[in-house]
Amino acid sequence: MNSNSDKALMMKVKNGDLDKLGLLFERYHRPLFGYFYRMSKEQEVSEDLVQSVFERLLKYRQTYSGDGKFSTWLFSIARNAHIDHYRKEQRNGVTLEIDENRLEAEDNGQELLVRNKADKKEILEKALDLLEEEKREIIILSRYEGLKYKEIAELYDTTEGAVKVKMFRAMKELKNLVNQIDKDCSYG
Amino acid sequence: MDKNYEQLIADYLAGNLDKEQKVRVEELIASGEIDFVEFRELETLHEDLGAIPIPKPSEQQSIRFYEMLEEEKQQVRASWTNRLLEIPRSIFALLTMPRLAYAAVLLMIGGFAGAQFGSSDSEIEQLSREMQQMKEMMMVNMLEGASAADRLKAVNISTELPGADTEAIHALLFTLNNDPSVNVRVQTIEALKRWGDNERVRQGLVQSIAKQQSPIVIVELADAMLELELKNSAPEFQRLLQERELDYTVQQKLQTSIAMLM
Repeated sequence: MNSNSDKALMMKVKNGDLDKLGLLFERYHRPLFGYFYRMSKEQEVSEDLVQSVFERLLKYRQTYSGDGKFSTWLFSIARNAHIDHYRKEQRNGVTLEIDENRLEAEDNGQELLVRNKADKKEILEKALDLLEEEKREIIILSRYEGLKYKEIAELYDTTEGAVKVKMFRAMKELKNLVNQIDKDCSYG
Repeated sequence: MDKNYEQLIADYLAGNLDKEQKVRVEELIASGEIDFVEFRELETLHEDLGAIPIPKPSEQQSIRFYEMLEEEKQQVRASWTNRLLEIPRSIFALLTMPRLAYAAVLLMIGGFAGAQFGSSDSEIEQLSREMQQMKEMMMVNMLEGASAADRLKAVNISTELPGADTEAIHALLFTLNNDPSVNVRVQTIEALKRWGDNERVRQGLVQSIAKQQSPIVIVELADAMLELELKNSAPEFQRLLQERELDYTVQQKLQTSIAMLM
């Protein structure tokens, strides 16, 4: 095993060389931030969640077995952090508020898009936001975070084939949403 | 569409297909089993996704992480210290008076032998010079490290050096002006302050003002200038106030510092 590989570094952290977590932070805090930001669209929440992932890495370092890819383990922790965060918000009754804000923002966005005959990028971003959470997550993990379908399958505790089908269908739905928004803009 | 084709297209999008499998996709398109228009649309869409911009995490993110790491390290150190302190305590508890007396005699004999056959003063000086050179070399190498934690450690090593040569100063000033981590830059200012009598350090600190973007580092530099009474830094701060849109609290801090420096 390469002494600077993710696994080797995490094993060193497990054995007490905590400074090596700094290297893993430098490698992964941006991809993790990207994942959380694309899922939540909130800068502060995303940074909090990145911090929470590294806190969990430190707290549970003794449970690291070195089996499987490090990035899969890391993203399973990230997914849990994300789920925990939204469950907590749900308990505090924040979700409804956020959803309403989001809907309002979406409506404004729609108007903006119509007014400006917005470009492709904006339409695509909006379509991605409108996608159901799990579908959005699969696209984010595969397209942006570079996870293999097999790794995503491990995260979802399902088969590789099922993930591929989900990815295809998520992309198809995204395409339909893009076409729909584009059509709405043209009529506007 | 057939689930197998859906999987094949998903693999195509992720770039997982070899030459043979790509030919198979082309054949399925040619035979109409995969809709060409839809396939092209998905391919374009997958490419276009790469163009969606994303903001960067703030500098605060790194600061928070390294603070948390430092706290954890201190906790670990504290628990080790406690365990180490336990060892002599338990040994002492086992010792009886005659054993203690025997140990004291052995110590005295050891001390006498050491004085007779030990190293001369010049050898000790030579050794400590070599140690210092080694530390300096280690520090300069670690400052080039990829991890901010290693670079922080390097900056801390520099504070253990009794004096600094040109290379060490140069390495620290380079770090101050170029390191991506705010934490490392702040610690570097602390380390450089120790050699505030050195003209190269004083000049370097003043020249660094214009190169800093982070408000935390700028404020830290302002404090250092006051501590070292570097009056020639006042015009640099004034320029910053004129040329940049600084945070209100930073502006106030700089104005106070300038007034105290002039």
